[in-house]
Amino acid sequence: MKFVKIILIIAFAVSVSSVLYADNSQVFIKAGNLVASGSFDEAIETLQQIPPPEKGGNTKDYVKAQLKIAKLSHALKNFKTAKKASANAIKADPDNTEAKQFLKSVKRESTPDYILFFTDAVRFLPSLLKGALMTFILVIVTMAVSPVGGLFIALGRISRFKPFSILCWFIIWFFRGTPLLLQLFFIYYGLPALGITLSPIYAALIGLGINYSAYLAEIIRAGIQSIDSGQMEAAKALGMTYSQAMKRIVIPQTYKRLIPPIGNEFIALIKDTALVSTISMVELMRSADRLFNTYFNINVLILAAVIYLLFTTFFTFIFEHMEKRVGIYEQR
Amino acid sequence: MSKDKNILLKLENITKYFGDIKALDNVSLDVEKGEKVVIVGPSGSGKSTLLRSVNMLEKVDQGHIFFEGKEVGYRFKKGKRLPDTPKNISFLRSETGMVFQHFNLFPHMTAMQNVMEGPVTVKKKSKEAAAEIAKKVLAKVGLSDKKDVHPVKLSGGQKQRVAIARALAMEPKLMLFDEPTSALDPELVGEVFNTIKSLAAEGMTMVIVTHQMGFAKEIADRVIFMEDGVFVEQGTPKEFFSSAQTNKRISDFISTIL
Repeated sequence: MKFVKIILIIAFAVSVSSVLYADNSQVFIKAGNLVASGSFDEAIETLQQIPPPEKGGNTKDYVKAQLKIAKLSHALKNFKTAKKASANAIKADPDNTEAKQFLKSVKRESTPDYILFFTDAVRFLPSLLKGALMTFILVIVTMAVSPVGGLFIALGRISRFKPFSILCWFIIWFFRGTPLLLQLFFIYYGLPALGITLSPIYAALIGLGINYSAYLAEIIRAGIQSIDSGQMEAAKALGMTYSQAMKRIVIPQTYKRLIPPIGNEFIALIKDTALVSTISMVELMRSADRLFNTYFNINVLILAAVIYLLFTTFFTFIFEHMEKRVGIYEQR
Repeated sequence: MSKDKNILLKLENITKYFGDIKALDNVSLDVEKGEKVVIVGPSGSGKSTLLRSVNMLEKVDQGHIFFEGKEVGYRFKKGKRLPDTPKNISFLRSETGMVFQHFNLFPHMTAMQNVMEGPVTVKKKSKEAAAEIAKKVLAKVGLSDKKDVHPVKLSGGQKQRVAIARALAMEPKLMLFDEPTSALDPELVGEVFNTIKSLAAEGMTMVIVTHQMGFAKEIADRVIFMEDGVFVEQGTPKEFFSSAQTNKRISDFISTIL
């Protein structure tokens, strides 16, 4: 009799547990069929029947059910339910990485684009701005150096001392005639073969400086030659030497004419600094590129574009202002 | 020779080519201190070239130039003609003021700054000393009130008067005028002539190239008619205008410009 009792208890326990187990698997099968027939809402309702562990449910099944609910709601664009379900799954099983990632992507997807842009901006701007600072330094130094180099080359071009004139012609011919990218590669990767090793920033500044000097040289030369020859004659007739006449009379008159084309070149320069990212300079483009390759987030590129636009707008404004100020004597 | 001592500028057998064209053909000219020489003639006759040769704005191919009895403008090395050193040329130019047809004022400077430029840059005078001179010469040409104005705001006649002041600020011994009124509206010619006349009255030595016969008659001690790079006729205004009636080339020229 006792034996029968024990058998019965075991049989009951087994049947109860099998019924419980079978119950959940039935739910999953039912939900699966409902999904297959396209009744997502009902499938979700069915899955909700699986109780959370604190109400005596099976943790594994509960997590599985909640994840399924999350994915189905996500498919139905019901982000609220999706978020809640994946949060439930994480609560039941804090180590579930699938649930965590899913929650993250649902949160991202359910956030309005403009808010997302600003949260991304806050996230990415510090490292983008660090890159932008380097871009700014490259631009400012090149802007300071290249007009001086350009003036020197331009004066050489119009010099009557032939060797100097030919040398300056050659510099212009070479540096305008080859891609800046190639020049940068040559300076950074090629010069070490000749025993000259430069850090990226010096290689970048030398490359940009010479290239832009060569471009500006032609603009400055044209500017000088556009000044009426009577100006040089009048200066000479007063007894000025050639260099005095250039410095005091001719060159100051070229400023107004030179600012628009040189400003144009400098706008191109701001964007050309992106090329130095190829010689391992970390500037704006390179920072953006790195972030983009890590996060595949298009907002990084948009932010970089905005920073470039701010730069070009700022300098355009400065050049316009300078043009007005420098040409004030021409106003009747 | 006491007469030579009085000669400020002496041109001796000057010849100048532009390519194959002979712009000046063996021209000689003596200008005495205080003398006013007016050169007239059709365009392309070489009068401007002659004037510009005096202060080395044109380099001649043959001949010699003497200023105050000293040869200027060129060095001769093994029979080869070379321009003099920049320093010597600069000095010669600072002693001869030049006024251009198109004024050639420095547009980026005020009238005052235009006038001060020579004394400051060339003569290395202090700003204060140069400003003193500038005020004086601007007053002389009657433009004291325009001293802080840029050339763009001046009329043609005013521009030319500033240009004269600019030349005068260098305290030159000789003034060269290259068609000073040709670019002016007729009603503005008078003010420039009056300025030149008052300068003449002070005893300034001048060589003037002009088309204005009336002015030539009034101011000149000597009038020279130039054509094809040679002096065709020269004399006092009286002699010149009477010979003009007999010389067909001169009378033709005069009738074309009147």
